Amino acid sequence: MEVIIQSLFDGALMGCIYALIALGLSLIFGVMNVVNFAHGNFVMLSMYFSFWVGSLWGIDAVLTPLITFPLLFVIGMLVYYGIIDRTLQEHYTIQIAVTVGLMTFLGAITQLVWKARPRALPYSFIQGSIQFGGYTIALSRLISAAISLIIIIGISFFLSKTWPGRTIRATSDDSDAASLMGVDFRKTYALAFGLGSSLTAISGGLLMTFQQVDPTMGLRFGLLSWCILALAGLGSIPGLLISGLIIGIGESLAMTFWDPRARSLVIYLIFILVLWLRPRGLFGRK
Amino acid sequence: MNHKKKQNLENLLLLFFLIIAILVPLIFGSNQYNILLVTTVLIYGVMATSWNIIGGLAGQVDLASFAYLGLGAFTSGTLLIRFNLTPWIGMILGGLVAVAFALLIGIPLFRFRIKEVWYALTTCALVEILKVVFNMWEEIGGPVERYLPYFSGSPYHMRFGSYVPYYYLILGMLVIALLVNSRIARSKLGFYLKALGEDESAAEVLGVNTRACKLRALVYYSFLIGVTGAIYANIYGFIHPSFFNGQESIKIAILGIVGGRGITYGPLLAALLLVGTQELLRASLGAEVSGLYLVVYSVILILVVLFKPKGIATFFQYRNKKPAKQEVKKKNVI
Repeated sequence: MEVIIQSLFDGALMGCIYALIALGLSLIFGVMNVVNFAHGNFVMLSMYFSFWVGSLWGIDAVLTPLITFPLLFVIGMLVYYGIIDRTLQEHYTIQIAVTVGLMTFLGAITQLVWKARPRALPYSFIQGSIQFGGYTIALSRLISAAISLIIIIGISFFLSKTWPGRTIRATSDDSDAASLMGVDFRKTYALAFGLGSSLTAISGGLLMTFQQVDPTMGLRFGLLSWCILALAGLGSIPGLLISGLIIGIGESLAMTFWDPRARSLVIYLIFILVLWLRPRGLFGRK
Repeated sequence: MNHKKKQNLENLLLLFFLIIAILVPLIFGSNQYNILLVTTVLIYGVMATSWNIIGGLAGQVDLASFAYLGLGAFTSGTLLIRFNLTPWIGMILGGLVAVAFALLIGIPLFRFRIKEVWYALTTCALVEILKVVFNMWEEIGGPVERYLPYFSGSPYHMRFGSYVPYYYLILGMLVIALLVNSRIARSKLGFYLKALGEDESAAEVLGVNTRACKLRALVYYSFLIGVTGAIYANIYGFIHPSFFNGQESIKIAILGIVGGRGITYGPLLAALLLVGTQELLRASLGAEVSGLYLVVYSVILILVVLFKPKGIATFFQYRNKKPAKQEVKKKNVI
């Protein structure tokens, strides 16, 4: 029983970070309907940036997003104007091809610059653990999950209360109507892509507090965030959070009770079952 | 009007390619490493050409090609290790197992109308699922390589002591894949597939049984790749769960898209150019800096997709299309 609760806790904390990663993808896919296969590699890239900034200037991993967030935002905008903008009118297979090219490019760049070995930062100052009843909770995961939650709530406010956030939602609902109302949809797309990419900077920084990074983890994060998106459906941030928790807990239970190798198996099985049984997602709006 | 002429030109190009391909071992014959490289490029050519049936004609971006390759390899390899069954039969059985798996997955997928991105992602996840399953399934797979019994120069075990026969085997598969492709493209099924690839609901309204058509395309595709997988296992001499490779499966689809969706020889062209470039870059740059060849390769890929979204094969169709464009312009002026 205690083991179950322990792994539920661990999974839920991981799930919050997963939800933050998927939120970025949800912004990109929900707003401009672009199939972004490179999202997982953006997460990997931000983890490497965190490592870089952290080891270069001796900054703690939690604080690295202060620098990597604007960096990733600029990179996202550049990618949008340089590549994605040209493929908006094309068949979706072309978008897949271009983002896969981007994925390969990012993976190769990281391999070139940081070599093919795993990298990790020194212990973060939020390291340690607290005892709670009979359970152990890693402090770094707890704080990371809390930060993720705060960011998700912040983005939710940004989308509902501010003007740029509202243009994103309007364009997501109906880009033709939105542009008739005076929304420059290309700027909105660029904003959404930049924001979606820069959210990975935060999750990358948080992941670096308790994990190492290597050049092969991109595809895993990419598929993971698509799974959460499929589970949640488009347009619901609370739904995204719940789906993140489901995936995180499923993964952690599989690792504790079945086999550590089965973690991705469980996620992909959930993904396929959801697609078969409820293609709109559990909380989908459209 | 010049449909026949175009067909003749295509056939002539293919014939030219075949003659060169048959002569390749005579040129590189002395160096086994080069033969292996060319064989690898051709394997990608076979897979991309087979992918064209489901991805190019039917418009379903299938990212599971290495799942079928792995299944073919494991079926033939396991039968050889356990029962000493010749790979020549194991090859066909491997193809059949791949088809069985494809049907098992394809029937519910098409039944629940999973398409476009979600089809792509499901099939992508499929490869990873199989990889984990075969990693955990100790009787057949497991994390350690299983070597096929080694007999030098035993045709019964598909062992020749040289890579040249494998090269011709793969070349034969390529010819079969190209023939199947062009036969389908010109058959009733091909026209149905093209219609549903453009607009599925419209094709359905016109009375095309889209589900059955897509399944048939899937069967052809998985069988061809399953058989190739069996040969693949014999070339490398072992079977391992890493054959289920998600990254490479995506690459096959990319070759199909870059080559030109629905053009019979397009994916082959893309495989020859892109995989050829990649292997060349790997050979020339790889030793110095790891990852540099991938940077160059991905930049080429992005540029090709951005500037030739209809595929590199359209370079050769340019002349046929030019008059049509001018006519449209004239109409606009009037």
